[in-house]
Amino acid sequence: MTAPAPLPEQSVAAGPGEHHAPPRADLHDAIGWCVFGAAVVAGSLTMDRLEQQNINPVTVPGLLPGLLGGAMVLLGLVLGVRSWRRGALAQPLPPPDADAREQRRRVAIAVALCLGYGVVLIGHGLPFWLASSIYVTGSILVFQRLSRDPAERAAGPRAWARALAIGVISSVVTWLVFEHLFLVRMP
Amino acid sequence: MLQGLSDLGQAYLSFMNPLTLLYGLGGAFVGIVMGILPGLSATLAIALLTTLTIKLGTNDAILVLICSYVGALYGGSRTAILLNIPGTAANAASCADGYALALQGQAGRAIGIATSGAFVSTLLGVVCLALFTPLLAEVALQFGAFEFFWLALFGVTMSGSIVGGDPLKGWLMGLLGLFIAQVGQESLYAYNRFTFGWDELSGGIALIPALVGAFGLAEVLTTLADPVERKIVELRDSVLPRWREIIQYKWTVLRSGVIGVLTGLLPGVGEDAGAWMSYAAAKAASKEPEKFGKGSIDGLMAAETGDMSSIPGHIIPSLALGIPGSAPSAVLMAAMIIHGVQPGPMLMIQHPHFIYEVVAMTTLASITILLFGLFGVRPLLHVLKVRRAILMPIVFLLCTIGAFATASRLFDVYAMLAIGIGAYVLRRRGYEMAPLVLGLVLGPLLDKSLRRGLVLSDGSIAPFFSRPIAMAFAAVTIFTILLYVPAFKAAVQRAKAAAFGGLRSLAGRRA
Repeated sequence: MTAPAPLPEQSVAAGPGEHHAPPRADLHDAIGWCVFGAAVVAGSLTMDRLEQQNINPVTVPGLLPGLLGGAMVLLGLVLGVRSWRRGALAQPLPPPDADAREQRRRVAIAVALCLGYGVVLIGHGLPFWLASSIYVTGSILVFQRLSRDPAERAAGPRAWARALAIGVISSVVTWLVFEHLFLVRMP
Repeated sequence: MLQGLSDLGQAYLSFMNPLTLLYGLGGAFVGIVMGILPGLSATLAIALLTTLTIKLGTNDAILVLICSYVGALYGGSRTAILLNIPGTAANAASCADGYALALQGQAGRAIGIATSGAFVSTLLGVVCLALFTPLLAEVALQFGAFEFFWLALFGVTMSGSIVGGDPLKGWLMGLLGLFIAQVGQESLYAYNRFTFGWDELSGGIALIPALVGAFGLAEVLTTLADPVERKIVELRDSVLPRWREIIQYKWTVLRSGVIGVLTGLLPGVGEDAGAWMSYAAAKAASKEPEKFGKGSIDGLMAAETGDMSSIPGHIIPSLALGIPGSAPSAVLMAAMIIHGVQPGPMLMIQHPHFIYEVVAMTTLASITILLFGLFGVRPLLHVLKVRRAILMPIVFLLCTIGAFATASRLFDVYAMLAIGIGAYVLRRRGYEMAPLVLGLVLGPLLDKSLRRGLVLSDGSIAPFFSRPIAMAFAAVTIFTILLYVPAFKAAVQRAKAAAFGGLRSLAGRRA
């Protein structure tokens, strides 16, 4: 059996500290951190200083957030300078290869399914076990369809029935265990 | 001393009933399963189980959580050995030698070594937990706002420096965590910060939904994003614990156990640091360093004992100082607070028996993993054969319940989704989640300590640098940050080389 290649995020067996994002990506991040940090500083400076309550001026609510925002701007600038010195302006981001494009598609679908379940299906009147059954069954079928394994991809009636059974059983068992055994209220 | 021993004995006796033992086994089972599944971490296991055990008594709930903590790190070693993917970040150091042994047809032996090493090193850590926590708690009674300010900052800085490969990104994540903790009503005047008139945000971003998002949803997305399904190496030999190797490599076990506990004592460092440092020390001391990474028993033993003994090590500062040693211990600490036990210097006064009860719980946790190591290795590995298209939607279902259940608010589910998607994007760009967690937990303490300190000093920042303990923490924190400045780092290295050179020449002259 051949050794599977580790995932990019999980290739930690070689030792800690090997991850380096492309310099251009770091430059984008640096701009993001500086803008976010500046917004936090602005929010802290405009925050009520509670002068009408005669509080000690060194205990204003915006003190720590302002310092944190300032530190974010500072570190963002350091990140920006570092990425610039590593050639961020000279090296554009490499175009995504076929694998990267497939990963993006799979993530977009997974996010859509999770948001559909968390925002639309639950908490709006549909019983929890039914909403969960729809989500689990749908997700199983979608990701089987996206599989590289031709046998898994060919979703026949048996695969549909199996996905439905797993979806319903896992949802009903979860609902029963949490709501009746652990007395946790469900959305 | 005698009072301590008597309290410890009573704590052990109080756990000797079938239902409590069953809770411990259940917690360890969930932890091991979570640990085995690549990416699902000890942090997620504890966060989800905190929700599940909310209706249990304090001791039973904390027992379940500690058993799941120990179980997750132990379970993660199987994935490292059989898949070459660390089940949790702490098992990364086990990958090289564990997987090499598996490829040589010795996967069972590697798992047996992991079991025996995990059991012995957790017990070693438990002894340190019992000895050092009361001592540290006594010292911590002298801490005031100035010391706690630096301690909180020290934890976030250390976590940012050590976890992952890029301190700059680690510190940015720490700052983000500290900032998120400031959202909502602040503690001195009940003023709403960054809520933009949104009532739901007044209560702040709750820790459990945030962690479930950062460690659960982000991992679900990471796993589902990968187009390749991984297959495990087959087990052919016996998986029983190997006690002979423990005796053979006793110095490695002892050294790694001590290193694990010491790294655990440092706030924010994480279990993986214990494993990597033990691994490096074992390689430096080994007579066969060339075998490391190619199936060295010594290397595997060091990695496994280093990460497991760091668990009790991380619990020590959590209990004594209220400053967690790692992301999972941060959640454990949050769970203690939810159950009415406030960790920190006052713990020995408010709950004098609790420390000994935690010692008993951790001992029980090490026994449960031994039981699973003896009887449950092969059945539990079936979980790795379940296809991720089936497993991940069910994991997300549990994440949703975990986020919702603590406060029964849909807002927490939305927060979990937002943080999870954000965490996924940040992880892809090389940002680690552990400093964010430390920031989230320590944010309120940092804010309170800073402002209380400034009131006490009438606006002067001098006491933050002039009190002896605060001065020491400030020096280490600032030194850690300055090490990132190339000129300062070069100067430190020059000074170190000169000092070592001087010592060497002195030793040479004496010889």
